[in-house]
This record gives sequence, structure tokens and C-alpha cells, in this order.
Amino acid sequence: MAEKKVDVLIIGSGHTGGMAAKILTEKGIAVTMLDAGPMLNFERDRTLKPASTLPFRGLDAPGRHPHIFQASEFSANQWVDEKVIPYNYPAGQQYNWVRIRSVGGRSPFWGRQSFRHSDLEFKCKDHDGFGENWPISYKDLVPFYDRVEPIFRVQGHTDHIPNYPDGKFIEDNAPWSGAMQRFVDAGKKMGVPVTKARSALGSGGLASSLNLLIPDAVATGKLTTIPNSIVRQITVDKNTGKADGAIFIDRHSHREMTIKARVVIVAAGTLETTRLLLISGICNSSGVLGHYLCDQIYGAGIAASVPEARGGKTGRNVTGGGALIPRFRNVDVKVPGYLRGYAVNVSSSTGPMDARWFPEYGPALDAKLDEYNGSGFTTNIMGETLGHYENHVALNKQVVDAWGMPTLTISTTYGDNEKNMAKDMVDTTAAMAEAAGFDVLVKNYEFNPPGYSIHEQGTARMGDNPKTSIVNKWNQSHDVKNLFITDASVFVSAGWQNPTITMSALAMRASEYLAEEMRKGNI
Amino acid sequence: MKRREFVKGLVVATAAAGTAIGQQKAPPQAKNPVPGNVIDQGSQAVAPNNASAPAATAQLQQQAAFHTPNIPVTQPDVVATTDARYFTAARYATLARLCEVFVPAGNGYPSALQADTPQFLDFHVGGSPADRQAMYNDGLDRLNADAMKQFSVAFAKTDAKQADAVIRPALKGWINDHPPVDKQQRFVALAHREIRTATLNSPAWAVAAEAAGERTPGIGQYWAPIDPGIETWVSHGATKASAPLTRQAHS
Repeated sequence: MAEKKVDVLIIGSGHTGGMAAKILTEKGIAVTMLDAGPMLNFERDRTLKPASTLPFRGLDAPGRHPHIFQASEFSANQWVDEKVIPYNYPAGQQYNWVRIRSVGGRSPFWGRQSFRHSDLEFKCKDHDGFGENWPISYKDLVPFYDRVEPIFRVQGHTDHIPNYPDGKFIEDNAPWSGAMQRFVDAGKKMGVPVTKARSALGSGGLASSLNLLIPDAVATGKLTTIPNSIVRQITVDKNTGKADGAIFIDRHSHREMTIKARVVIVAAGTLETTRLLLISGICNSSGVLGHYLCDQIYGAGIAASVPEARGGKTGRNVTGGGALIPRFRNVDVKVPGYLRGYAVNVSSSTGPMDARWFPEYGPALDAKLDEYNGSGFTTNIMGETLGHYENHVALNKQVVDAWGMPTLTISTTYGDNEKNMAKDMVDTTAAMAEAAGFDVLVKNYEFNPPGYSIHEQGTARMGDNPKTSIVNKWNQSHDVKNLFITDASVFVSAGWQNPTITMSALAMRASEYLAEEMRKGNI
Repeated sequence: MKRREFVKGLVVATAAAGTAIGQQKAPPQAKNPVPGNVIDQGSQAVAPNNASAPAATAQLQQQAAFHTPNIPVTQPDVVATTDARYFTAARYATLARLCEVFVPAGNGYPSALQADTPQFLDFHVGGSPADRQAMYNDGLDRLNADAMKQFSVAFAKTDAKQADAVIRPALKGWINDHPPVDKQQRFVALAHREIRTATLNSPAWAVAAEAAGERTPGIGQYWAPIDPGIETWVSHGATKASAPLTRQAHS
């Protein structure tokens, strides 16, 4: 049999796997990319349907996705079924692991909010003493943010707030609606900045690796993409200590195959990456692989109504538009009760109100919905959680998935830091809404279980010290020099930001470093 | 019918159906032509030369170009009903009354009762995890108990004013994924939401919307199963990969 060996093997095809494929192939390096899921076919796989034609009237099959609050009967087939790939958690420590397995990973489905980290995040320990600093600073990543944002076509407004760095935006200079302007003004009086949201426009309504990154790699003629390939182990040459490929299983037939590679990039998504490394028994001389899991709290917030928009008087100048409150707590002045801070998604709607907001039913509810139509206003938290050592994942060899691979036990809890942060957010934004003249209908201090934000980070964090981290500042394994990790498992702290833009910038930076090291013959 | 006659009848029916649907001719060189719409996929898979024969290729191409006839289909709810099987009679009567109160008919749209929502929820809750079943059972029992305590009638027999007096203390507004924590408030919040959803997404509601000349309600982007195959393997117990056997075979 002919000897087969690929130059770079990428495991995972989401934003960071796609970015690595794009950068490396554009530098002339041949790349083979494996994804555990099938190739999507948007024309075949999705269609517009009325809920009345679905078997469960939009409620979905009972108990089908108990941990995916985002799931509906419309989207049920896009999520990983936890009966096929189980996971568990200790009693009382619910974790909502929200997964997608198809080429492109979660990138076709993300919320597209695009924020840069700042040194408030990268040098977090210097600021408040908790956790560890990242081994990089904001200036190290600026050149890469500057190139990633135009690829994603990020729309935003230049605000000149140091801990909310501006970027290469499609400038959003649209005026606020009347309601939003009042909320902005109320914030100014209270020292709370309210800015335009920042979001990736992408193209065709999609800002995924499928349409923004992988096609560039395909165009080079250097990319080989293989779907339905479930990597069950990264193999290591015992003589050199370097990764030499992987063993993967065909999703349908369960045929096992071996692939040899000079370099391996793991981009399977935070917890799948860590699971694969744990199963492979590599990259863990420090003993911290799987630890320091963190994300963001979502779910707490308020619902309100803008009085002048009621009775059919809504309109573009009255209501409508979104905004973002970037982190403003614990920046210059320390507040009691919690470390770090939160951002807030703000939305003013010109559409129907949510029936849940009213303690009414029947004709009285219908009348309320008619009267309040177009007056809805909401705030929702995105709060940084703390990556404690105890928040971790471990292999569960007693329970295997459909392909015989050990599963994960995820042990993580939120504590008083998150509770106090959520309370502050609700009270602050409710006060702002009232100051703006809105009627607050509902306040919710509860937040969703860990995992819900789909922003899981950490468990293979980066650092300069091989005894306390998994990869170095170039996303390169301390232990296995020709293995790189490009997804958010390398994050040292969560920040309040949607991690995608930072993940993509880090993946671009790591790939360029790798390409140069390969050119020099160092890897 | 004797087995031989049954098989004979089946072959004739199949051949006739194939002719009618596909208008396909059997390959002229085939000595034992199969009915036109029966593709011997299995034989072709293990003997690829058969599949690449000109006549067979032409047949496959013809079938690949076949367009699905446009046959209008109907939701079963339009002509059939679901018998309630899960809830006890008392709980079901309470649920039906709750449905009637929460979503009455109006403006040409059906009530929850007319949309068969109680039967649908009986089916849906009956197939649910134990915690959801308990929430419904306990919540319905509590409504009934409160009605008996306040008015000495079952909730199912309450008038509008009595029903409101029982329900209203448990009615609270809520947002996101956080219904109230209090047990009865939580039940009322979630049952209300599900009764509304099952009614507004019912075929009866869609028919009413169409009759009113309004756009079809509840349109969403539906994802079909993507490249399915996992379930078959899992359900047939083939999840133990064949790799170890392969290794042994070559050792």
C-alpha cells in the first residue's frame, strides 16, 4: 500500500478550523480537514413550513432535547442528540451542552455578535487578582482583529471606549429611535454607556466558515475535506513524542481508518477538543487539561413597554433598534459583591409582544397584545463567569457514545459572584428603563444553567508556564510541539464577549506562526 | 387468499403500478424483466457491471429525472381525533376546562377545545419525562382542589368568574426561560404557554387563518434530519465498532 501522509490535519471545520484551513492553504500548505458530521445542503436540509404541519405543533417530541433551551421543533434536527452522544454532570450541577455536528460546526448558527477583547480581559489578574493573565496582550491581537473583521463584515460604531476597542467596522451611523435615545440618555445620567451593537453581516445572512473561510481554502486547490469522520484518537510517535496523525471512524459504517500527518490542529470546539485530548492521553503533563471551564451567564434581564408606542402608534422613529451596554462595572471603580462585569443586549421591538409578559389570559390577554403591539423593550445579560479550577470536565469511561468513545462528566457551578452580578444588572437596567419613561413589566433575576450561552471556554488554556497551562501563546501544545489548538478551549478567562471574533483572530495568528515555523523547518 | 394467489396478485399490482407511475419500459435485453418501478438495487450494488450496462443506466437516469407528482396532503387532525389516554377522567376534565378558559373562540378562530388541544396535550404529556407529567398532574389536582374549597364544585364545572378566582392568584408574567419558581405559578405559566402554542399551531387555527384571508401562521425554517443514519446504527446495537475484529482477522 502506498504511504499516505498529509501535511496538516485539522480536526473540526467551524470558525477556527476553517480559518486555519484558509490561512495555511493560502500559504501553499496542503491541508486535510476532518469533521465528525455530515456536509450541509441548505436547499435539501431546510425548508419553510407552518407549525401546523409539524407532528408536535411546534412543541417538539417530549423530552427530545432536555438541555437545549434553544431547540424547537423547527430546529430539533440540527442539534446533537444527547442520547447519541451522552454526557452527564453531578447531581445539582446542571450543564446545558449545546452541540452541532455538521461541516462548519456551530458557525452557520451563531448569533454573530462581534466584539474584541481588551486588556481588561487579557490582563484580568493584574486588574483584580483573580485567575491568570493571558500570555498575550491586546496589541498582539490587533493586527489579526483588523483582518478578521473585514472577512466577517462587522458592522458597528466607533465609540472610543478603551475596554470596548473599536475595529474595522462597516460604520453604523443610523440614528436611534426615540425610545432608544431616551434609554441612552438615561444611561448617561447614571454613568452607563449605551452603544450600537456590533454584529457580523457576513454574506447572504450567513457568517460561517462554510461561506466566509472554507471557500478560500478550496480555491487554492490545497484543501481536502472529509465529512462524517469521527476522530477517536490523536496518535503520537513514541520515539519523537510528536503527533503523527489520527484514528477516525466513519459515522455511518463505523469503519475505522488511520491518517498520518506532519502537523495536527485540533479545532473540534472547546469540550470536544478537550475530550479528544483526554481520550488520546496527551497534552496533559500539567494536569490542568479539563480545568478552568468558564462561559457567560444569560437569561437574567427585564421586559418593558414603551408607552407612546401603544395603541398602534409604533413606528421607526418611536421604537425599534438594538444596542449594547459594554462592561462598565469594575473598570475604574470596584463595586461590592462581585468580580469582573457584564454587558447587556438591549432591544426595542416594533413587532408583537410576548404573551408571557402579561398575567392575563383569554380575551383580556388578546386585548393587551393588541394594545401593546410594537412597544416591547428588553434587556438581557451577558455576564462573565469565573473559571475556577473546580469547574472542570473529566472522562466517563462507564458511558460511551454511539461510536464507543468515552463521554464527559461536566462539573461546574455558578456562585454568589454570578448571582450578585445578575441582580445588579437587572436593578440597573430596570432603573434606566424607568428613568426613560418605560413601564417595566417583568424583572428576572434568574440566569440559565452553565453552557446555555454556547460560549464554553477554557479547559485547555494558554500560558507561558507548561506546569499550569496546555498551550503556549501561539496555541501550540507545550507537550506535543506539532499539535495546535485553535478553538476557545485555550481561553484563559471568559470575558463578557461573544468569543468568535477572538477565536478567529487567535486561529489566524496561530496558523501564520505555524506556517512560518514549517517554512523554517522547525516543525 | 392462498399464499400463491396473494403473491401473484402482488406482482400484477406492482407491475401495473409501475407502468402507470413511471411509464418505464423493461430493458430489451433483459431475459427476466422486472416490473418497471422495481430497481434491483441490491444486485447492482454487489455487481457494479450490471448497474453500468447501458440499458440499466438509461433506466436509472429516467428515474432520477422523475418529478414528484403534486398530490395535496391533509393533516390527520382535519378528519380524525385522538382519544385521551393519559390523564385520569377528573384531570382531563380539569385540563379541558383550563383550555376553554385560556383560549376561547373568537373572531372566527377556534377555541383550544375546537383545536383538539386537550387531546393533543394528553398525548404529549403522556409521552413526556416524569417531571413534566408530575407538574401537570399536581397542577390540575391543585386547580380542582382550590375550586372545591372555594366554590364546592369541580374546576371542570366552574363558571368564568369562579375559574378566574382559582387561576388568577397563580398568574404571573415571566420572560426568557424562567417561569415562576412557585410550583403552582410555574404550572399555570407553562400550561398556559403550551395550551396557546398547541392551539395557535393547530391545523384548525391554520384553516381559520386561511378562511380569514390572513397569512399562514407559525411559519418557520424547518431543518430536516441531516444525512441521517446514526439512529439506525444505534437502535440496531451496531455501535461497537468493528475495528477489533478487523485487527484479529489480520493477526
